[in-house]
Amino acid sequence: MDDLQFRRAIYADPKNQDADTIAAQQNDASKRQFAQDICQLDEKIMRALQVPVPEGLSEKLILRQTLASHQVQKRKTRVHLALAASVAIVGGLMLNFMQFSSAYTNLGDYALAHVYHEQGSFANNATNQVSLTALNQKMATFDGNFSRTLGKLIFADYCRFDGMKSLHLVYQGKTSPVTVFIVPKNEQLSFSADFNDKKLFGSSMEFNHSNIIVVADKNESLGQWQQNISSTVSWSI
Amino acid sequence: MMTKQVRYEALVKALHGDLYRYAYWLCHEKQVAEDLVQETFLRAWRALDSLKDEKAAKPWLITILRRENARRFERKRFDMSEYEEANITDTKSVTTEQELENYWLREKIAQLPPEYSEPLILQVLGGFSGEDIATMLNLNKNTVMTRLFRARNQLKEALEAEPVKRGIYNG
Repeated sequence: MDDLQFRRAIYADPKNQDADTIAAQQNDASKRQFAQDICQLDEKIMRALQVPVPEGLSEKLILRQTLASHQVQKRKTRVHLALAASVAIVGGLMLNFMQFSSAYTNLGDYALAHVYHEQGSFANNATNQVSLTALNQKMATFDGNFSRTLGKLIFADYCRFDGMKSLHLVYQGKTSPVTVFIVPKNEQLSFSADFNDKKLFGSSMEFNHSNIIVVADKNESLGQWQQNISSTVSWSI
Repeated sequence: MMTKQVRYEALVKALHGDLYRYAYWLCHEKQVAEDLVQETFLRAWRALDSLKDEKAAKPWLITILRRENARRFERKRFDMSEYEEANITDTKSVTTEQELENYWLREKIAQLPPEYSEPLILQVLGGFSGEDIATMLNLNKNTVMTRLFRARNQLKEALEAEPVKRGIYNG
C-alpha cells in the first residue's frame, strides 16, 4: 500500500480496520503517526458536531404526536358514529318495507290466498246463520246496505284484507262455501276483474268506494252472484 | 407486545438527539432544525408500522428528515450564500481553549460544501459505514469515500493554516 493510498483510506475513514491499512501502520511509524493525527482530528470534529440539543425536545415530540393521534382518533369516532347511524337508518327502512308492503300485487291473488287460509274454518253445511240486520250493521262501516239476503249467510265479520279493514262474508254454496269480500279501494293492490286457480274462481266488482270480490268453486255461477249482489247492494252517498 | 405508542416514545428518546444534531448541520439554524425534527417524527409516527427492523430506525429517520429538508427548499428557496449570517451555534460561554477550538471548528465544518459535510456528519455523528451512507444519500460508495477524504482533508488544511494564537487578547 503506497503512501497516497494509505492517506486516502485514513482520511476517508480514520477508524478503518482493513487488514491492509493496519499492516501498513505496523510497518511504518510515520503512517502510524498520521493515522493518530487524523483520529485526533476526528475527535475534535466529533466534539464540534455535538451541538447542544434543545431541552425538552423529546417531550415536545411526544406531546405533538399525542395531540395529532388524539385528533385522528376523534375523527375516527365521528366516522364510526356516522356509519352506525347509516346502518341503523337502512335497517329501519328495510324493516318498514318488509313489514308493511304486501306480498301480493293484485286483489285476486290476495283474495285467493285469504280464502285458502281460512278454508278449514267454514263448513258448507254449518248451522249458524247471520241475519240481514246484523249484516247491514256491519255494512254501515262501508256505507253500504243489502236490501235482501243473497242466500244462507254462515259468517259475517270484519277481517284484515292486506292490512285494510274489510268485511268477510261466507255464504252457503252448492258444494262449498262462497266467500264475499267487501274491501275499501286501495292503490297498493291492483284491481283484477276475474281471476282463478285450479279450484276456485273469483271476480271483482268496482263500486265508488269499495270493491266487492266473490270467490267460489267451479260449481257456482259467479255471474249470477255478481248480478244478485249488484241488484241488492246500495251505497249511501 | 409493545404498543405503537411505547415504540414511538422509545424511538424519540433514543434518537431525537442524533436527529436534531444532524438536522442542525443540514440547515445551520436551531429553530429550523427543531421544526425539521418535529416534522420527521410526526411522519415517522404515521408510518411507524412500516418500520419492521428496529436497527434500521436511524437510517430510516434520517431518510425522512432529508426528504423533509428537501421539501423545505421546494416551499421556499433560500439563498445559500447567505448562511454565514445565520450564526453558527452557541458562542455565549467561550471560556476554555477546548470550547474555543470547538467554535472555530464548527465554523469550518459549516463552511464545507454540503456534499462534503453531509457524509462526514453521518460518519462521525451517526456512526454509519461507508455503505450505509452511500445508500442513504443515493450515492456510489467510492464517491462517498472520496467526499469523506476531501472533507477531512479540507478541515485538516484549515486547522494547519490557522494561526497558533486565536481569539482576542486584550492588554
